[in-house]
Amino acid sequence: MSTYVTPRHRVYFDHAACGNAIECLKCVHVCRDHGANCIGFVNEKTPPVGENAPKRLEDIKHIVFGVRMYRCDGCGKCVEVCPRNAVRLEKVDVPVPRAVVYQPPFEIRCSIFKDGSMPPEAEKIYNGILEAMKQAGANKG
Amino acid sequence: MCRYCVEFGNGTKWYLNPENYRRELYEAKGHAYGFNMLAGAGKNTFETGSLVHFEDQTPDYKNAMAGQVAVDLMTQHSGQVVPLEDAVKILEMVPGDRFLLMHCSCRRYFGHGDVYSCLFFEPAVEKALAERPWETDSKIITKEEAIKMEYEWDKKGLIHNVLDVGTDADGKPPIVMCHCNATDCMPTNLRLALGHRHALRKGEYVAKVDLAKCREGCKSFPACVARCNFGAIKYNPLEKVVYLEPTLCFGCGLCRAVCPTKAIELVDRTTYPALVDEW
Repeated sequence: MSTYVTPRHRVYFDHAACGNAIECLKCVHVCRDHGANCIGFVNEKTPPVGENAPKRLEDIKHIVFGVRMYRCDGCGKCVEVCPRNAVRLEKVDVPVPRAVVYQPPFEIRCSIFKDGSMPPEAEKIYNGILEAMKQAGANKG
Repeated sequence: MCRYCVEFGNGTKWYLNPENYRRELYEAKGHAYGFNMLAGAGKNTFETGSLVHFEDQTPDYKNAMAGQVAVDLMTQHSGQVVPLEDAVKILEMVPGDRFLLMHCSCRRYFGHGDVYSCLFFEPAVEKALAERPWETDSKIITKEEAIKMEYEWDKKGLIHNVLDVGTDADGKPPIVMCHCNATDCMPTNLRLALGHRHALRKGEYVAKVDLAKCREGCKSFPACVARCNFGAIKYNPLEKVVYLEPTLCFGCGLCRAVCPTKAIELVDRTTYPALVDEW
């Protein structure tokens, strides 16, 4: 598995504060109406079968979470609409792609942030290259 | 013809091979997990810990291969697009006259409301009924009604998608007919947005446009374009015709129904040798 992580906004839910999500679902609906439709809800664990099986859908504990976060544009409506302050939207600083070098089986992704700084890993590589260049120059001279 | 048909088709398409509908297959090791998952026991259809967590399991959207392998390992079932006539053939082949009409999980769990669009076959009917008592408005319908509904869904513009309970050495038993559209359906989203091919396989057909007929048709208002969920039909405003991109086509056949001059037909995927790996 690649160590590269596609930058995307992430949404986190405080499930304890949220309670049983199926009674509210405001964030799911506001996200749907925004056109993003990233947030979904599912039951937390398998409901018991047989005698103790829940008789209504509302009796099953449901939780909300971000499923299709590649659609998220960070509008923040899910945070605003939540009556219990259970939603936290973590926005990422979108890096400006500089180059993608793809030579199977290696893939190098270079990027700088908007303010000109680099992600720590990229900076490490960059410094390494500078160092190597310096040494090569020193050897030459 | 896809790999599934070669391995499980016995000369025809895998879903038209009666061998795959044998009852003992559903309880056989390898299929039992997928069966339980879809029919309800042990796992409800969507649940934390299943495929819905692919956000965390796919850190790199661009690295489709790694994600695809992960999804392949996680899924105990997969879906394939079938056109209306094959969907009807499948329903006719299914042993038993009882069909279970249930809500679509994807649509419910993404806030699109409760929509009747999941059609379970035997032997999942009894099991799904017993294991999900909270689904109080599920309906048992007959084969005749089910086939009638297939035509209605097709008219509405929903893709027929047959799900099975897992591919194993002994077969590939179908269990439910889903009726999807690209905006609501989870597997379709996985395939279109992230390239997880195992989530939704393309059908055994592709559409073909007869340009001469197309020219005489609707001219500037191509209804087929709106029917295509996959962006396979492109409109050319200069020639006032549509062109079809076979590499994008899933072979659902929805576009045919709305063409006033019947310019679109479905042809076998093998018509285009280049599509052999594209399914």
